[in-house]
Amino acid sequence: MRNRALTIAPLLFAGCEGVQSALAPAGRDAERIANLFWAMVVGGGVVWLIVMAVAVYGARAKHEHSEKLAGRFILWGGVVFPTVTITALLIGGLALLPPTLDLGPDEPRLAVVGEQFWWRARYRQGDQWVEVANELHLPTGRRTAMTLESPDVIHAFWVPSLGGKVDTIPGRTNHIAYEPTRAGTYRGACTEYCGQAHALMAFHVVAEEPAAFETWLAHQAEPATEPTDAEATRGAALFLEHGCGACHAVRGTEAAGVIGPDLTHVGSRAHLGGVLPNDTASLVRFIREPEAIKPDVRMPAFTTLSDAETAAIAHYLEGLR
Amino acid sequence: MSPVSQGAPPETPRDPASTAETEESLWWLASAPLAWVLHLLATYLTAANYCAKAAEDASLTGVRLAIAGYTAVALLALVLLARRGWRRHRAGESLGPHDFDTRADRHRFLGFTLFLLSGAAILGVAFAALPAVFMETCR
Amino acid sequence: MSDEREPRRREADDVEPLAEAPSKEVREAQEERLRATWKTPEGWRYWSAVNNSEVGLWYTSLCLIFLFFGGVLALVMRIQLAQPGSDFVTADQFDQLFTMHGSVMMFLFAVPVFEAFSIMVLPEMLGARDLPFPRLSAFGFWCFAIGGVFFCGSIFFDMGPRGGWFMYPPLTTDYLGGYGPDIWLLGLSFIEVASIAAAVELLVGILKTRPPGMRINLIPLYAWYILVVAVMILFAFPPLIAGDVLLEMERLLDWPFFDPARGGDPLLWQHLFWIFGHPEVYIVFLPSVALVAIMVPTFAKTPMVGYSWVVLAALGTGFLSFGLWVHHMFTTGLPGISLGIFSAASESIAVPTGVQIFCFIATLMVGKKAELRVPLLFVLGGFSTFVIGGLTGVMVALVPFDMQAHDTYFVVGHLHSVLIGGTIFPIVGAVYYFFPLVGGKQLSEKLGRLAFWLMFIGFNITFVPMHLTGLLGMPRRVFTYPEELGLGTLNLVSTVGSFVLASGFLVFAIDVLRRKKNQPYSERNPWGAGTIEWSAPMPDEAWGIRSIPEIDSRYPLWDQPNFVRDIDEGRFYLPDAEEELRETLVTSPIDAKPVQCLRVAGPTFKTHLAALGVGGVFIFTTFHWYWPALASGVFGLVMILNWLWTGTAPIPEKKEKHVGLGLTLPLYVSGPGAVGWWAMMITMLADLVAFMALVFGYFFYWTANDTWPPTDAEDLGLLWPLGGLGLGLLAWTATAMARRFNRADRPGLFYPALALGALAALASGVVLLWAPWRVGMDPTRHAYPAMVWLLLIWCAIHLAVGVIMQGYCFARRAAKRMDAEHDADIVNVTLYWHFVALTLLVTVAAVAGFPKVS
Repeated sequence: MRNRALTIAPLLFAGCEGVQSALAPAGRDAERIANLFWAMVVGGGVVWLIVMAVAVYGARAKHEHSEKLAGRFILWGGVVFPTVTITALLIGGLALLPPTLDLGPDEPRLAVVGEQFWWRARYRQGDQWVEVANELHLPTGRRTAMTLESPDVIHAFWVPSLGGKVDTIPGRTNHIAYEPTRAGTYRGACTEYCGQAHALMAFHVVAEEPAAFETWLAHQAEPATEPTDAEATRGAALFLEHGCGACHAVRGTEAAGVIGPDLTHVGSRAHLGGVLPNDTASLVRFIREPEAIKPDVRMPAFTTLSDAETAAIAHYLEGLR
Repeated sequence: MSPVSQGAPPETPRDPASTAETEESLWWLASAPLAWVLHLLATYLTAANYCAKAAEDASLTGVRLAIAGYTAVALLALVLLARRGWRRHRAGESLGPHDFDTRADRHRFLGFTLFLLSGAAILGVAFAALPAVFMETCR
Repeated sequence: MSDEREPRRREADDVEPLAEAPSKEVREAQEERLRATWKTPEGWRYWSAVNNSEVGLWYTSLCLIFLFFGGVLALVMRIQLAQPGSDFVTADQFDQLFTMHGSVMMFLFAVPVFEAFSIMVLPEMLGARDLPFPRLSAFGFWCFAIGGVFFCGSIFFDMGPRGGWFMYPPLTTDYLGGYGPDIWLLGLSFIEVASIAAAVELLVGILKTRPPGMRINLIPLYAWYILVVAVMILFAFPPLIAGDVLLEMERLLDWPFFDPARGGDPLLWQHLFWIFGHPEVYIVFLPSVALVAIMVPTFAKTPMVGYSWVVLAALGTGFLSFGLWVHHMFTTGLPGISLGIFSAASESIAVPTGVQIFCFIATLMVGKKAELRVPLLFVLGGFSTFVIGGLTGVMVALVPFDMQAHDTYFVVGHLHSVLIGGTIFPIVGAVYYFFPLVGGKQLSEKLGRLAFWLMFIGFNITFVPMHLTGLLGMPRRVFTYPEELGLGTLNLVSTVGSFVLASGFLVFAIDVLRRKKNQPYSERNPWGAGTIEWSAPMPDEAWGIRSIPEIDSRYPLWDQPNFVRDIDEGRFYLPDAEEELRETLVTSPIDAKPVQCLRVAGPTFKTHLAALGVGGVFIFTTFHWYWPALASGVFGLVMILNWLWTGTAPIPEKKEKHVGLGLTLPLYVSGPGAVGWWAMMITMLADLVAFMALVFGYFFYWTANDTWPPTDAEDLGLLWPLGGLGLGLLAWTATAMARRFNRADRPGLFYPALALGALAALASGVVLLWAPWRVGMDPTRHAYPAMVWLLLIWCAIHLAVGVIMQGYCFARRAAKRMDAEHDADIVNVTLYWHFVALTLLVTVAAVAGFPKVS
């Protein structure tokens, strides 16, 4: 029932669809806000038309109006009308505040950390924390609360299709909750300017049925798969040899770095760094010239590797599904 | 466009002493905003301080009562100010736009402005108190 | 205007202009003397002018140049964003571009342009010959010019700031190297000081230099708005300056004010920045409403309907705007109740903002059919655009919606609707309206219309789509965006629109700059306006106004018979400059009763040198060249002292002077009647606000930290802080006593009291700094010692300045430039010391008292 009313709004503007659109809601909060928005647009549009009509009429009307009439116009049009409408709007807006800030019944089991210029996420699975990067999964039909933190500068976590945004601020722990209503992949972005690659600090959220979500999480909790062919084996060796493990973790291997994204299941992600399709070419580029993909990124460029070596590492990483 | 009418009777204010410049003060205009700002700061600081130290889901009952108290005091003060302004606005016989070069009109103008400012402040105070109606915890 | 209005009433004893004009010979001799007195310097000395019409013109022109500079930066950004994945500029260049664009538009255009414009026209509106402190305006202008050029120049050396115009730490403290943030912090602090100086000037100008009879209910609405905005500047800029100090201390000295690992908090900066930043929006917007308020009655040919309501709107938005700052922080994770309070406060401001629009429309209704001349076109276009911005403002003030819209292009669309529609359109309209007052010539109606339609259409094509762009997922401050978001078309439309908008500005610039040699002078009062500035002849004379009129109405040109003739023929006050000294009238703040004939200063280069010296401090410090900075500071101080010594409060050759119409006024006034006293009072209020912002920081840390002071903090003890306070209060008392001894003409007591005061002040400063030194407080270890040190240093600096002032008074009396009757110097210095005493009390209570009770 609810959904039918909600699909009308996007129809008003065919262009509202999109992977990162607040007007193509796929979550409880985004729906509420989109409805509020359309209501305000209609109301605001009417007010604008009336004000402009009166202004042009006032300037161009042939006859003069009495000061008494003008005084009443100011009192009713300029004072009473805005006071009443604004008060009504404010009450509506305040009533929406508690559900917007509501974190749901569960303790947060997801910790999101914004870092220059990527997103770290840790899920609590039993008594262990499972770390992933740049791709979050959320169960549909359930309100998932998240903690938001940052070790470096201020970022903001935003998935417009699902709901609003909240900043990640060094020294503070913030919260946000999303409640996906529609399965799908939604793009998220950092909205607080955080440095040169701010524009590229994107990520994706996959909303899926709770069962599929649990399966995914269980898989992410497992250690990395062993390399299955010779080139992957060589890639794994090169990965360790060239010190990639100092920053990246591949659980089940010696690579246990905590500075960069966890790569245990990097092959299972649809995107690389949130901005590139996850394929061999992207992996090679990321190893070769990370600076060209995300300016001012902390990862050094591994230019001393030969083409074959780079390809081997990329192949190995691709296999980490 | 009417010329300065030499024939118009010079205005005698109802009570010359009350409209002497030395009796008037621009600070009255600051009183309504002051009441508003004190109310806003008290409301905000009480809530923010309490929530900074308390747990996320701590109940706001005490804070909401305090805000109700501040609001009652501020509204009372502002209604009194508005009344003072209104009385000055109505002093004497002229109710026009208060644009004569007389002490009395200046007196009425300042009164009317105080009245309007108190009105704006009452709106501000009432609005600032509204969230306390809706919010039950520190979330 | 309309016939049913009551006849104008005045007090029985109201002053009439001279019934008979002075004879032609007398008038010509008067004009000769006035012309000689107010003559604008020629040749290279032209730049030594301090008169409001010259300084105001330079100031306004420079602001408009910065507007164009900021606009070009925006065009470069629009080219980059025209299509997804463009590499027209790099990310780093883009960061500099948007940081510069925002900062230039706000600090180098929007705020100063209204000050500049007011410096130029306000005295004309108030029938004054000049502002009370012409040299202060000139000093402010030269500071602005030096700081502005320094700031803008940085981008050409790839040194531009990159932190955004909001400069959020820790990005700007720990992650951006180079000099960029320092250029922002120091360059703009310098300009903010100039802004405050101009605000002081305008405030005193409006309160104290109105023409006789212009009671507070008759002030031109423009002046009401400027009064409000000047007060807002005094309360809004100091917190930003305090924030700048904290941020720069962290950058230069590693004092961890915003480092959470050491007890600091990045959110403190956001509070301080937005306590400035939101009122700032209204500081920028209200002056433009003021322009509308002065143009609308002219075109409607009727007085403003609801004058009191408009005054309410000015005052109401002024104060309510200080309660909105947190709405820029709705996504920082504050408790819901705090969000709600500021959401409500943000909504409440819509009411006074709306009232004034309705007053303007009502005035247009009451008036005759208005001719759609260029200024009115801009006013109506401004309405249309601003109302969109107002309505989207109402939307983003709701927390849930803001959580989507915040930091997206929706907000970009919103804020430009407010700032271009609400601020820039009326300004361009006002340039068309007021242009004849500057050079005596009209701008072109044809080019004006073309400029209007290009700007209006260009604006809407650029910014209306941005609301949608934002909600479809485009965050702010991104140098690029991927194709998959589907935002390419909308962005391309915005880019095309921005060039249309820019072409409108280009047409406007051409109209202003084109040669007008063959164009005839405009007729007098070409718009048929009712306010005093239009009494000026075309072209205007440098003396400002021929004789200072007695005012009976809000629109004297409409209501007072023969008003212009009486001014021209010198039938009002001060028709002459017998001593060939620049003079204007000082009146009382409420009823504008004349209280003094004020002599104002003439051309000088001292202000330029002082501005250079002070500017050097900021510029050298940016590059860590501390010795040149110190030298430059000493030079600046010497120049300022020299300027004050020679230029302010001279003892006049006679006690009083006949200013015409049977009125004799004193030439020297001290205390609350004097303009200098007001300037000191207002400056120190701003200083106190900056100090309170630091104290706010101290207590903010208390709420943000679990323990404040931290458990391992060194204890200052009570002895030394209280000792320092006692000495400071002794210095204060001694200064106050010295003022009395001076007035009683007892030099035998005056000099020792002042000397005692200076010694006690020095001792107080030393003792206050010794207190943290003694216990080995390290300001880099934690925000607590950093804050304690900062507050105590703040006190010490104020004490040091107080000592310089005491020395100044000592020397003034010794040099016979101050005596028992002419004591403005010591009176103003005592006023300064009242504020110092308060500062010391609060500081010691915070740093020594609070740890004992917390």
